[in-house]
Amino acid sequence: MKIALSWLAKYIEIEENTNELEEILTFTGIEVEAVENISALPETVFSAKIISAEAVTETDHLKRCLVDIGNFPYSEKKENGYLQVICGAPNCRSGMMSVIALPGSILPEMTITKAKIKGIESCGMLCSEKELGISDNHSGIIELSSETPIGITANELYELPDTIFELEITPNRPDLLGYIGIARDLSAKLKRSLKMPEINIPDAKCKAETMPLELVNKVPDLCPRYIARLFNKVELKDSPLWLKRALIKSGLRPINNLVDITNYVMLEYGHPLHCFDYDKLTPLPEKPKIPAIVIRRAYQNEPIITLDGKSYVLEGDEMVIADGIKPSAIAGIMGGNISAISETTKRIVLESAAFHPGSIRRTSYKHKISTDSSYRFERHLCAYSAADAAKRATQLICELTNAELCEVTYDSFPFPPKPLILGIRPSRYAQVIGYELEDEKIKDYLERLGLKFLQYGNWKQGKINNIAELYCHHTEEMKQGKTEFTELANCEHTHYYEIPPYRVDLEREIDIIEEIARLDGYHKIPVKTLPQRIMDRHSYRIKKIAVDYLISRGFYETLNYSFSEPNLLYKLGYKDGDRELEMITLKNPQSSNQSVMRTSLIPQLLQNLAYNLNRGEKNIKLLELGKTYHRQDVLSYEPYFLAGILTGLNKEEHWQEKASPLTIFWVKGIVEELLSFLHLENLSVQDIKVPFLSRTESAAYYLADKELAYYGKLTAAAAEKFDIDTIELKQDIWIVQFAMENIINATRTLKTQFQEIPRFPFVTRDISFLIADEIPYCEIVKTIAETDRNIISDVTAFDEYHGKQIPEGKRSLTLRLKLRDKEKTLTDERVDYLIDSVIKKLRETWQIIMR
Amino acid sequence: MEEELQQLIEQAEKDIFACSRPNDLLNVKAKYLGKKSLLSSLYAQMRELPAEERPAYGSLINETRKRLEDLIEEQNRVIKENTWKKSELKSAIDLTMPGIFSSRGGLHPLTVIRREIDEVFLGLGFEIAEGPDIDDDFHNFDALNTPLDHPSRNLADTFYLEGGGLLRTHTSTVQVRVMEKYPPPIKIISPGRCYRNDKPDPSHSPVFHQVEALVVDKGISLADMKDMLSQFASIMFGKNVSSRIRPHFFPFTEPSAEMDISCVVCGGTGCRVCKYSGWLEMGGAGMVDPNVFDILGIDSEVYTGYAFGLGIERIAMLKYNIPDMRILYENDLRMLRQFKGELR
Repeated sequence: MKIALSWLAKYIEIEENTNELEEILTFTGIEVEAVENISALPETVFSAKIISAEAVTETDHLKRCLVDIGNFPYSEKKENGYLQVICGAPNCRSGMMSVIALPGSILPEMTITKAKIKGIESCGMLCSEKELGISDNHSGIIELSSETPIGITANELYELPDTIFELEITPNRPDLLGYIGIARDLSAKLKRSLKMPEINIPDAKCKAETMPLELVNKVPDLCPRYIARLFNKVELKDSPLWLKRALIKSGLRPINNLVDITNYVMLEYGHPLHCFDYDKLTPLPEKPKIPAIVIRRAYQNEPIITLDGKSYVLEGDEMVIADGIKPSAIAGIMGGNISAISETTKRIVLESAAFHPGSIRRTSYKHKISTDSSYRFERHLCAYSAADAAKRATQLICELTNAELCEVTYDSFPFPPKPLILGIRPSRYAQVIGYELEDEKIKDYLERLGLKFLQYGNWKQGKINNIAELYCHHTEEMKQGKTEFTELANCEHTHYYEIPPYRVDLEREIDIIEEIARLDGYHKIPVKTLPQRIMDRHSYRIKKIAVDYLISRGFYETLNYSFSEPNLLYKLGYKDGDRELEMITLKNPQSSNQSVMRTSLIPQLLQNLAYNLNRGEKNIKLLELGKTYHRQDVLSYEPYFLAGILTGLNKEEHWQEKASPLTIFWVKGIVEELLSFLHLENLSVQDIKVPFLSRTESAAYYLADKELAYYGKLTAAAAEKFDIDTIELKQDIWIVQFAMENIINATRTLKTQFQEIPRFPFVTRDISFLIADEIPYCEIVKTIAETDRNIISDVTAFDEYHGKQIPEGKRSLTLRLKLRDKEKTLTDERVDYLIDSVIKKLRETWQIIMR
Repeated sequence: MEEELQQLIEQAEKDIFACSRPNDLLNVKAKYLGKKSLLSSLYAQMRELPAEERPAYGSLINETRKRLEDLIEEQNRVIKENTWKKSELKSAIDLTMPGIFSSRGGLHPLTVIRREIDEVFLGLGFEIAEGPDIDDDFHNFDALNTPLDHPSRNLADTFYLEGGGLLRTHTSTVQVRVMEKYPPPIKIISPGRCYRNDKPDPSHSPVFHQVEALVVDKGISLADMKDMLSQFASIMFGKNVSSRIRPHFFPFTEPSAEMDISCVVCGGTGCRVCKYSGWLEMGGAGMVDPNVFDILGIDSEVYTGYAFGLGIERIAMLKYNIPDMRILYENDLRMLRQFKGELR
């Protein structure tokens, strides 16, 4: 629903700027979907009269107009002081009042300049509503009423600047489907008074017998209320500007004064109205001569042509407003064309009714007709608002069409619902919402919403039939002017209110509690203090990821005691002075082999390995995630390590897919893969510092000066100290270790980020060459990548070969290059050129020989 | 000409149906529809005909062409389907031969239980807090209202370290450290290793694992603890498992209690595992002693809290029917492999 600020301001004072108002609306529960600011126009855009308009020869639509701009000081007036303007609008004609923008005017989407059109000079432009930015209407230039004086600025004509809010009204709040409803909510929120339109209805001049009507409501269940007011001597004409501009800004197009009034009242009160041509209503056969309105269900296969000229065949379930014979309207959705207001209309029936929302929704859905009217009626409009809207429309019809009101008002309202009384306990508010609110504040909010305060009383569960049953000592105390109430046992302090009928959504205490909370502001609801967030979730997660990865590669987890014996580290080759030997000693150990706190996980893993080898296991992969203990200050530093020991085959043996002994690249792969999962890349590779691994078959990964991980082959000497004879075993023993604390710290800020998926396919090319053994693979890859980083997306080793036909000291390498251009598909020429440059560069840098 | 074409079709049909491989079919296609085919040369001859005869002639050739194309496509389909059939029928496979397994390993049963407990409490809104294994008298005893002459401080119970400090005897030390650092509300579990000077035997180990829970806030009562405990028992051991608390004594809780769950083996009717009592002891519990709050500067008039501790080894032994705690620390692959399927 579109709401213009200028119109809204008629019902409530608005001091806030657009942004503030948007925020207030949103936090009142009225979602603002869009805000459109209509800016002020220059003073050089104003009303002007077209004195003459002659067709320009050789064109089919252009007209040369002479325009009277009154006293407006403009130097280029021509021909008797009129301005010459070329206009192409179909409705442009002589004698018409329109709006001109003089050269130099800056309009929302263009700047007006003096121009020559078909060789004729044009000084300015006659404008459409769209060109002024006030609506989307571009069907012709603006036509103002002929009484409009020349020289009234567009700003004044259209109340500019202005702001249009597009609001999303939730289905439970049909009362918000008009300006007054919005203003009422704001008045409660802002604690500002609501200014309802003053309604003065002139005396009824038309006698009842002049315009008799037979009103029959056959379906009071579908149409709980039907008001008909009759008018004589209606003068159809254009609406006054204030009415037109109000409709335009709310997105409706002005038609004539009568239609515009019904639309205006619909937007104002949220209640749709309809007008019939009284003289086109056929009487009932049994009561000839009296035009009839019959509210009934449609007959099966009953045809109707609606206002927009479409024909429908009704099935019988739909509600229609008929005359004595045929349907005049699909009730609450759209009028029929026979009884529609036309140029000849003199006498009318104004309809203001309430319809069963489900019936309207079913019919609208069945026949796929959705109108401003059906949109509102299917949300349950209240029967009492029908009377308010009828009164307002009556006033405007009398004022703007000079009609005579008929003295009889027909009102079919067989079962007026009793007003609903609801109780609200402030204590319940506090219980549900989480904070207490004073009686007076609650009362103020609700009264501004239109709820009528009845009295204080004791809480009563269930329906309230009689106000007298609410009586309790609070009622008495209230009468004595007290604001603090005595609390008695069995007494729950309660406010009682009469619910206004337009608030169909307020049915229970909890509904009212929501109203109060919404108006007092959800920001006032206190946040309960949550338990302290003290968990290091990152650390927890990384440790889990690391262990789970090794498990997936075949490791079994062990748990060893935290204490150990110092001798084990000497066996591994550590020497006095090594940090690992600075161990914390127990004062009262149970035995000498549990006398110190461990500084490394490796010795116990070696013991576990020996234990399992002794029990006939051949293929063993064990890990432990655990703390090591080091003296620091008075207490300790207890970093986590993840260590693994492995020997034997790389996987389970299988008759078809053969397993093979673990190799150093298998072990290295474990370390590198886990580090790459954690986005730890481009690490420096250094020699290891532990004494029990082979110097040549081991490496450590560092980030700055922090060791993150190492892998390597256990020396035969170290193995022997743990009673493992590697010669007899005929298997290598491998060790990996991850320094978890360093890894956890290094990964705290690293996050996986989505990369755009390449749109172009990649091309793979393999290159094979001979290269000296001592040139490392990583350097070769670097050289290749440097050739063209944009295109070479990946380089992988495909094959390495030593042996026959390969000269001593050299190896044959096959590398697979993945090439891709982010911008386009690679051509063969481009790929060939690139591969040539790679080869050239490799030749120059590493003296390779192509194979 | 018509006759000629009819013969062509007949000949082509024979050739096409004789094809059993895609390549043969390609050759036949070239022969009858290629540039040098009879059809092509007939088509070329069309130019020499009078204009009025051309349409009929042309459409005759096109019909023939279409007919041949359809025949080839049909045969192509037949060849494909035959190939599929052949590949299905190739040989009978001995499906009793072993399939290929991944070479996945497994977690230690204590880790399985620990992760399970973590998951339960994380789901109930707890945070996990860790602390050092090596701690001091204050955090392990003093702050927990344990008198200086309390027997648990004996060398026979607690490991002390050269140069100061001790190995914590419970993870209550972490609770103390958290309360020192953070004001309430607090809702944590603290899992970790604990140490007591017990000789290893079927139900003791000098190193063991504990999880303790601590909840401190306004309005926390023993009822909340009972609620949490029963939730834990039912999630961890099953919906039918009930729990109870019995009066007991701990220096750092008042009132104190011991927690039992109904026997997970016999369901409460009595068996060897529960020593025919129907109940299994789970650990100690209670309301945080006001003295503990006073020592840590938390207003015990405003805040109350509960704490309880669980032994992870005991839960693992119960759940997996492990008869001797020492088995858990031998790291024998024949034990570890049994828990390969316990994914957490």
